[in-house]
Amino acid sequence: MNAYPNLQVQLGPLRLPNPVLAASGTFGYGLEYADLVNLSLMGGIVVKSLTLAPRAGNPPPRVTETPAGMLNSIGLQNEGVETFLLEILPRLREYGVPIIVSVAGETVEEFCAVAEKLTRAQGIVALELNLSCPNQMRGGMEFGIDAKLTATVVRAVRSRCELPLIAKLSPNVTDIVPIAQAARDAGADILSLINSVLGLAVDAQTRRFKLATRTGGLTGAAIKPIALYHVWRVHQALPDVPLIGIGGIMSWEDAVEFLLVGASAVQIGTANFVEPTTCIDVLQGLERYLVTQEIPSVQSLIGTVQDIA
Amino acid sequence: MARWELLATVVEHRRRAPEQYELILHAPPIAEAAQPGQFVMVRPLETHAPLLRRPYSILRANPDKGIISLFYAVHGAFTELLSLKQVGSSIRLLGPLGNWFQPVRGVQRHILVAGGFGAPPLCFFASRLAYSLKAEERIIILAGARRRDLLVGLDEFRALGAEVHVSTEDGSHGYTGRVTDLLVHQLENPEPAAVYACGPNAMLKIVAKICTQHAVPCFVSVETPMPCGVGACLGCAVRVALPGGSQWFRRACMEGPIFRAEEVIWE
Ligand SMILES: Cc1cc2nc3c(=O)[nH]c(=O)nc-3n(C[C@H](O)[C@H](O)[C@H](O)COP(=O)(O)O)c2cc1C
Ligand code: FES
Repeated sequence: MNAYPNLQVQLGPLRLPNPVLAASGTFGYGLEYADLVNLSLMGGIVVKSLTLAPRAGNPPPRVTETPAGMLNSIGLQNEGVETFLLEILPRLREYGVPIIVSVAGETVEEFCAVAEKLTRAQGIVALELNLSCPNQMRGGMEFGIDAKLTATVVRAVRSRCELPLIAKLSPNVTDIVPIAQAARDAGADILSLINSVLGLAVDAQTRRFKLATRTGGLTGAAIKPIALYHVWRVHQALPDVPLIGIGGIMSWEDAVEFLLVGASAVQIGTANFVEPTTCIDVLQGLERYLVTQEIPSVQSLIGTVQDIA
Repeated sequence: MARWELLATVVEHRRRAPEQYELILHAPPIAEAAQPGQFVMVRPLETHAPLLRRPYSILRANPDKGIISLFYAVHGAFTELLSLKQVGSSIRLLGPLGNWFQPVRGVQRHILVAGGFGAPPLCFFASRLAYSLKAEERIIILAGARRRDLLVGLDEFRALGAEVHVSTEDGSHGYTGRVTDLLVHQLENPEPAAVYACGPNAMLKIVAKICTQHAVPCFVSVETPMPCGVGACLGCAVRVALPGGSQWFRRACMEGPIFRAEEVIWE
């Protein structure tokens, strides 16, 4: 048996050197961590969601810690796609890490305009559509909680962009399967799930909301069971669609759990804040696990969870 | 801007007052690089609750001994974990982070306004400032808190030979009232001054206003939650005014924690 397990993963048209990526919004544009983390070892970086024009984001306070997690309402603050292409991408490319760009918008047209600018750029391996964006036409409701809207966005971007397309799904739905199906049918090559879980926090002493926007997105260890559940359900319903599992991954064991329920790769978010090297630590833990368990490749682990004996 | 993620050893854990402690940590590269006003992200244990690191201002740094000091008051689960740390145990640190206080040139008085537990970075600043002070310059400390037992660093400030004025809201020590009253009094004197402040944002807002009124340069170290400390999450946003009248958010962990008072738009 090969002593070095094969860490490469193939997600539809997208081949990655290994299955451990940093999640959008939690690793900046990668450069923020370049002196602390060996970026070139990572499976990929999904950069902070980009909109057409720069966005200031929500008023503070934007974050608050909760049991085993945190709530955020950053409000898609970003430099805009032009600044990314001119000033950030050329520097990030130097590190040789696969770059995935997260695309956001308040309208279908904005999603398309951003994607169109990115599709011609050098050094981007895929686009990820952030479907948790507030939809301007529907009073700020997330695009991703409606199957038709999801399909509209994905189809529109698909027709204007040749890059592998990832649709990132929201967990804030009654049933994620029809939405996953709609995204796939509209042309998404890969699905990533989950984005943050809606929540809120209150201060009993001051009797006030803890976030300026009142509600926010819950992330971190606390959401792992929810994320595993959604990944497993989508994998059951659409076994041929490559999935990227996201939500509450803090350790390599967590990452293995996502692979077992059907994810072909994982993204790590909040844990990067706690330990900047989490992606590398998870990757090394995964590699040791494959060696000791005598599993030849990551690929052979995917979706192999079994019922309790 | 050099920074390190490392495992620091607890050299000493000193009780300064009831529920107030100083953690002295062996972390040579951080001690070497640290500038007054900078902070470190602290992770006492590998727990999921509390999950995130917390930012702590550096109270003092001794590059020769390779140590830094952090001040904390026990309040909630995170600081309770910190308080259990024994000498010889280790703590993960990431730092030094953020910008730092730089003395304004050409003024006679450096006025440091310390609100309660906001004093630590100003202690560090005062100690470095004392070394580089010109003959015509002096340091004035205005330290305020709600009660006497919430005042931090008075002994350190006095040991530097600084002029120290104290206020408490309940009158248990010094002037009865707010530290911002002491500032107004200081600025009635026209002798050129610069103000450096750290404390609750409500205090900083008033300090900023007073300094604007007196046309005195003022730097404030703001307090925000900080999930990452390295500019990646945008959770530490501070609203600032841009030239031309528009607004944007800056990151307290990167472009701050110290801002020019007139650029901050207080929430
Ligand atoms: C501070 C913060 C900002 C985020 N910003 C984005 C974003 O811009 N776009 C996006 O698709 N997801 C964003 N997310 C969601 C993460 O990419 C990820 O889906 C979520 O945090 C769950 O993973 P985790 O539990 O490992 O953090 C953000 C999360 C956090 C904590
Ligand atoms: S704390 Fe994350 S950007 Fe400042």
